[in-house]
Amino acid sequence: MRNGIRRNQALFDPPWARAGILLAVAVFVTLFLVVPLALVFWQALEKGFGEYFAAIADPATLAAVRLTLIAAGVAVPLNLVFGVAAAWAVAKFEFRGKGFLITLIDLPFSVSPVMSGLIFVLLFGAQGWFGPWLAAHDIKVIFAVPGIVLATVFVTFPFVARELIPLMQAQGKDEEEAALTLGASGWQSFWRVTLPNAKWGLLYGVLLCNARAMGEFGAVSVVSGHIRGLTNTMPLHVEILYNEYNFAGAFAVASLLALLAVVTLVAKKAVEWKYAAELKAAKGREGGQ
Amino acid sequence: MKIAKHLVRFISAAAAVVGLVAPVTAQAADFVLLNVSYDPTRELYHEFNQEFIQQWKQKTGQNVLVNQSHAGSGKQARGVVDGLEADVVTLALAYDIDVLVAPGLIPANWQTRLPNNSSPYTSTIVFLVRKGNPKKIKDWNDLVKPGVSVITPNPKTSGGARWNYLAAWGYALDHNNDDAGKAREFVTALFKNVPVLDSGARGSTTTFTKRGIGDVLLAWENEAFLAINELGPGEFEIVAPSESILAEPPVTVVDKVVDKRGTRSIAQAYLEYLYSERGQELAAKYFYRPRLKEVAKKHEKQFPKIDLFTIDEKFGGWNVAQKTHFADGGIFDQIYVPGK
Amino acid sequence: MSIEVRNISKKFGGFAVINDVSFTAGTGELLALLGPSGSGKTTLLRVIAGLETADAGAVLFHGEDATDAGVRERRVGFVFQHYALFRHMTVFENVAFGLKVRPRKVRPAKAEIAEKVGQLLRLVQLERFAGHFPSQLSGGQRQRVALARALAVEPKVLLLDEPFGALDAKVRRDLRQWLRRLHDELHITSVFVTHDQEEALEVADRVVVMNNGGIEQEGTPDEIYHRPASPFMYEFLGNVNLFHGRVEDGNLHVGALALPVPPDASAGWRNACAYIRPHQFGLSRQRKGSNQFRARVESINQAGPVARLMLVTEWASTLNVEVPNAEFLALALARGEDVFVEPRELKVFPSGGTGGA
Repeated sequence: MRNGIRRNQALFDPPWARAGILLAVAVFVTLFLVVPLALVFWQALEKGFGEYFAAIADPATLAAVRLTLIAAGVAVPLNLVFGVAAAWAVAKFEFRGKGFLITLIDLPFSVSPVMSGLIFVLLFGAQGWFGPWLAAHDIKVIFAVPGIVLATVFVTFPFVARELIPLMQAQGKDEEEAALTLGASGWQSFWRVTLPNAKWGLLYGVLLCNARAMGEFGAVSVVSGHIRGLTNTMPLHVEILYNEYNFAGAFAVASLLALLAVVTLVAKKAVEWKYAAELKAAKGREGGQ
Repeated sequence: MKIAKHLVRFISAAAAVVGLVAPVTAQAADFVLLNVSYDPTRELYHEFNQEFIQQWKQKTGQNVLVNQSHAGSGKQARGVVDGLEADVVTLALAYDIDVLVAPGLIPANWQTRLPNNSSPYTSTIVFLVRKGNPKKIKDWNDLVKPGVSVITPNPKTSGGARWNYLAAWGYALDHNNDDAGKAREFVTALFKNVPVLDSGARGSTTTFTKRGIGDVLLAWENEAFLAINELGPGEFEIVAPSESILAEPPVTVVDKVVDKRGTRSIAQAYLEYLYSERGQELAAKYFYRPRLKEVAKKHEKQFPKIDLFTIDEKFGGWNVAQKTHFADGGIFDQIYVPGK
Repeated sequence: MSIEVRNISKKFGGFAVINDVSFTAGTGELLALLGPSGSGKTTLLRVIAGLETADAGAVLFHGEDATDAGVRERRVGFVFQHYALFRHMTVFENVAFGLKVRPRKVRPAKAEIAEKVGQLLRLVQLERFAGHFPSQLSGGQRQRVALARALAVEPKVLLLDEPFGALDAKVRRDLRQWLRRLHDELHITSVFVTHDQEEALEVADRVVVMNNGGIEQEGTPDEIYHRPASPFMYEFLGNVNLFHGRVEDGNLHVGALALPVPPDASAGWRNACAYIRPHQFGLSRQRKGSNQFRARVESINQAGPVARLMLVTEWASTLNVEVPNAEFLALALARGEDVFVEPRELKVFPSGGTGGA
């Protein structure tokens, strides 16, 4: 009897340790997450709701919102398709250069965002590789919307792929092989078997991709040109407002971004929760009959 | 299947939002100009553009839209070189506009095309201190005293910062019999008192005023006045040093761009409007020293009396100054090592 | 529809997983591919299915070369060891899958599919579970669904990769008998892979035993069990006792024991080994003949259909002997007692050489 009690205690931390760790985490989260978020909203509403909505309804702000939506609206679907394709190739097939592809996918993560922006300036700027050709055809990439979209696509490149690859690798290729033996074409196997199995990883990746696409600052700042009302995304516009001493306005737009962050977090939690529920049901009834 | 359904729903939602916002930005304009400017001129051009647009509509019946871009002067110049399609550039110093000559964007003689070396207004460098001037900062030599924290932007990216630096250097020359070595020591000591370098003038102003860092801000005169008005009339004071540098922020059309876009005449008119009485009044309103004698006389009182020297007098012009002090490996790189 | 495998070879890296293997499964036959892990049997099955390609050789279905055909064209039904059921589809949808993915022209109508699926689910006795998800089923149920799913597309051949490997012993036994009955009903040519010899011997019409990428022996279960052709076969199938000794004038001398060996077959042998199964011994309390040797009873295990004894011989080697319970009771042996042992049947192989006698 005594042994049993002692053995149980070996598996659990003493209550003071648990409380201590929880307290440390709570303090950390409060200081670094809750307080800044609360501050953003507080500063935004400092001059009252009227000013708040005026700042948001300002044409330049709306233009920034629109540009942010466009950038995300292009980057997310593009990287979704790419991510799924890359994950599918990596998880279900063997081919030479697979390691290289994976490294390539991770490249935007290891490169500083400012550098990412600079790459595009060096490629598409007037003095860049494609500069003369673009100028000759009157195509504007850098300092225009396409440049911003490109930079956003680049920095959010890996998100979907990185979520899906380990997921699909863990799921193996048995089901796909079964589908093939049953007469499904490659495309049918992908659409009916692979994708539905990957849907939670997909959703998760899309969420992260979107959050980053909408919040990206560094890379977009380099390729933006900062033309008020034209080539500013929301994060850039926050900087501009701040530089114009319009602090309430800056925080108002920042609060929109903060709202987006909160929504993303909630959606992410929902996805995790549903996935866990599905997993739990899957653990369901096992064992012999 | 389910994923397709969700995707469709998301896209339609996004499209709806975009659609809502779209009409706001689609404006009917006959001409669109892009004015690429440096950091502190935001308020000036905001009002100036409105007046110009109104005036142009009255005069010609044409609708004009003027877009603005603001950032550190050097950064903006590089942007234009890299393809930022500016119809006009209104930057902090001639050297920054000079870099547009090499890629063929403007001719070498650009500065002679408009009066006063293409500078419709001038400014200078003053000190902004906290109310009551607790550190008793009166002149440049107070800046190198130990325990004084000086805020200035980074000369590598900000035009204003370069004027700051040269003003300090000029003062040191005057007080040390033109000894360049002593001047260098002086400026080195000054930068030792600098805790943080922002990339643009506005950033430094925010650092000093909003974030409360530093005892004194080296600022464009107009920035200093603007800061007081916007951020707290009772909170800051302007201290005019005994001498300072005459800053001539120039403007020009960008020939290659206006010819391509067919906006030359209107861009030219835009810049000429800066020299008009209305333009000069606006400049004075935003604390730039106007060139037009009548307007200057009218607003004389609002500007402190400072002995001003020019860059040509003390440094032989911008090209020499840039090469000596601000180019890679120049004197600034040698004396300022962050963290030391 | 017969399956012929002709001179198939395959390498993984530098390693030959299948080495020039040929065999045939006749129409309607249930063939087992038996062998230890690493013998290449699963790879061979996947080559037949088209899930892997061989480096050399051919696969023929009913005489037609299918080697270049893809998985889809071969129309093989495949049952995986871990079921590979589509986890996000119900049992019904799983079984219907093969029919639903048919090209528009040959796709059956919804009602027809529903009927077919119903039939199959009845065949595997799972019609109650049509709306369930695989995660809600037991292992045995899942495998039956997998079988129904494979049968839905009316495959020409059925391939099963260790179909009961992931199930526990009782379920395995039940299912293997059920598979046999199913096969008797449907008569689809089937090849199944297993490492469980009991399973192979019990279920299959014929067994192909593989080892190290090659075929050791093939034949009916009876043949390969009672007439094993090599030491490996002896050791792999069932238990065996080894007697190492020297061959001299037609006898294998093991200690004091002299076992007769057919002279012509064993010409030139020096060292050899006799293989005797546990049930191929006779026991008696008294010495009865010259072929007997003495041994001491080390342990007795009576829990089972036969009595299992562990004996230690005069020359200190351990023997596993099985005698029917009745015989054992008649002998009334106890631990530590001496007993006389006579080999009734044996097979002799030269040590380190080929052939047997």
